[in-house]
Amino acid sequence: MSIVELKEINFIYGKKTPYEIKALDNINLKIEANCITGIIGHTGSGKSTLIQLLNGLIKADSGTVYLDGSDIWEKPKEISKIRFAVGMVMQYPEYQLFADTVREDIAFGPKNMGLDSEEIEKRVLQSAEFCGLDKDILDKSPFDLSGGQKRRVALAGVMAMNPKVLVLDEPAAGLDPKGRREILGGIKEFQRKSGTTVIIVSHSMEDMAMYCDRAIVMCHGKIVAHGTCCEVFSQHKLLLDVGLDVPEITGIILALREKGIDISDNIYTVDGAVEAIKSYYQSSKRERGV
Amino acid sequence: MEASFGVYYEKNSPIHQLDPRTKLLFMIAFIVCIFAANDMYAYLMLIGITVLSVIVSRVPILMVLKGLKPIFIIVIITTILNLFWTDGYTVLWSWWIITIYKESLIRAGMLALRIVILMACTSLYFSYTTTPIELTDGIETGLSFLKKIKVPVHEFAMMMTIALRFIPTLVEETSKIMNAQKARGADFSSGGLIKRAKALIPIIIPLFVSSFRRADELATAMECRCYRGGTGRTRMRVLKMKVKDYVFLLLTAGMIAGVILLNIYGKGYKV
Repeated sequence: MSIVELKEINFIYGKKTPYEIKALDNINLKIEANCITGIIGHTGSGKSTLIQLLNGLIKADSGTVYLDGSDIWEKPKEISKIRFAVGMVMQYPEYQLFADTVREDIAFGPKNMGLDSEEIEKRVLQSAEFCGLDKDILDKSPFDLSGGQKRRVALAGVMAMNPKVLVLDEPAAGLDPKGRREILGGIKEFQRKSGTTVIIVSHSMEDMAMYCDRAIVMCHGKIVAHGTCCEVFSQHKLLLDVGLDVPEITGIILALREKGIDISDNIYTVDGAVEAIKSYYQSSKRERGV
Repeated sequence: MEASFGVYYEKNSPIHQLDPRTKLLFMIAFIVCIFAANDMYAYLMLIGITVLSVIVSRVPILMVLKGLKPIFIIVIITTILNLFWTDGYTVLWSWWIITIYKESLIRAGMLALRIVILMACTSLYFSYTTTPIELTDGIETGLSFLKKIKVPVHEFAMMMTIALRFIPTLVEETSKIMNAQKARGADFSSGGLIKRAKALIPIIIPLFVSSFRRADELATAMECRCYRGGTGRTRMRVLKMKVKDYVFLLLTAGMIAGVILLNIYGKGYKV
């Protein structure tokens, strides 16, 4: 079942100036509920523009965005309701922190929703826990934290609004491998537990393969592939054509296949590769009659 | 954000090629001329120079006119003030306590014209045809004689360059932070004055924090490249006056002479 639907969306930057750029070109898209969808594409492919349409930060030049079947711009005055329903974590969200304490910063969204203080406190604690923030951090100034912790505070600030759809733009950019795993793992856990629909924008194929259920590939403002991770990552040629890489491990498998080793080319995680190579090894052993 | 300031229009016209110092000198002369001129023909000449400059620079005339939008209100207010609150001799129209004199009508028109050509010319010479870097270079070299009386010209120019360089960055950053806070339900456009001012806190604080961080990083980066102020510093692009510049300065002198002569001997309507 789809929760977000885009119909014939066009978006142009700098309309009627010499710098006109068509960022989105007739996009039609349905995003499945209760799973993690990854949007992949190289810089300038329209990913960030696309997600800003979802919560009404920008309005498409033509076309309609539906959330739960209704047009989000139906009542322009109530667009903030849409923004609470579609939580958005921007790139480098740690630069948006402003409050005196971590607690206040996380509470900013719920407060704007008009919740009572008891509910706010409950949500602050809940989302802090999801993001792996200790209780004693809550009364510190967000500016005294490390980069990775700041990012998690910003993430918690959006999660605390309990959105139906959580959109994240490059949530792991600029973090070390451990930080990446923690953030993305936390998001995945949050998704599994809460049943929220999650959309992650990234250009790391490995992260996508690891954490996403479905994938969308964008190129020059168009969607060139959309489906389960398996379906998308098996289209090696298309991915390479649009200037993306296949996940590293898939690259290795493909190289092995070129050498004449007959294993499945439908592999995009390290675990999958280990299994495939194991079974190949065993079956070839059997063939040789050892 | 729509600011005509700092919008460079890339072309390779004779005006683009002029030395920024020449443009500075010309603009000083032009401003003095605008305010010194009191003869109708002198005004016509200055308008002619503005129009001619726009044509020669090959900047689209619509772009120049669009850049005038922000001063539209100022022009209207000054025109109205001059129209109703100055005295004259010949009554054109009178009703109740409002009297419009022929003299004030002309004076108001002239003043509006002054502001318009002043803005048009300044933006044409300083932003459409000169990059901010060229401009600060020009100011630094042009004012270098002040170094003799210990004015830190280089430091000022460097500060100006850095400030100009970061305007677009700050604009971009502001819109990013605004979007992020809007996504968390911040509301900047409703409520009373105090509520709106309070709503700005979530934008201003992150903006300050990142500006300081950026300033710190920039200072480190500059020190890493051994920046130590202006003394003994050489430039990649050395400004050099060319024949064009001297010709242009001659024309500028001609403009000054023209205005003086027309002011004294001109047969046009005197303001």
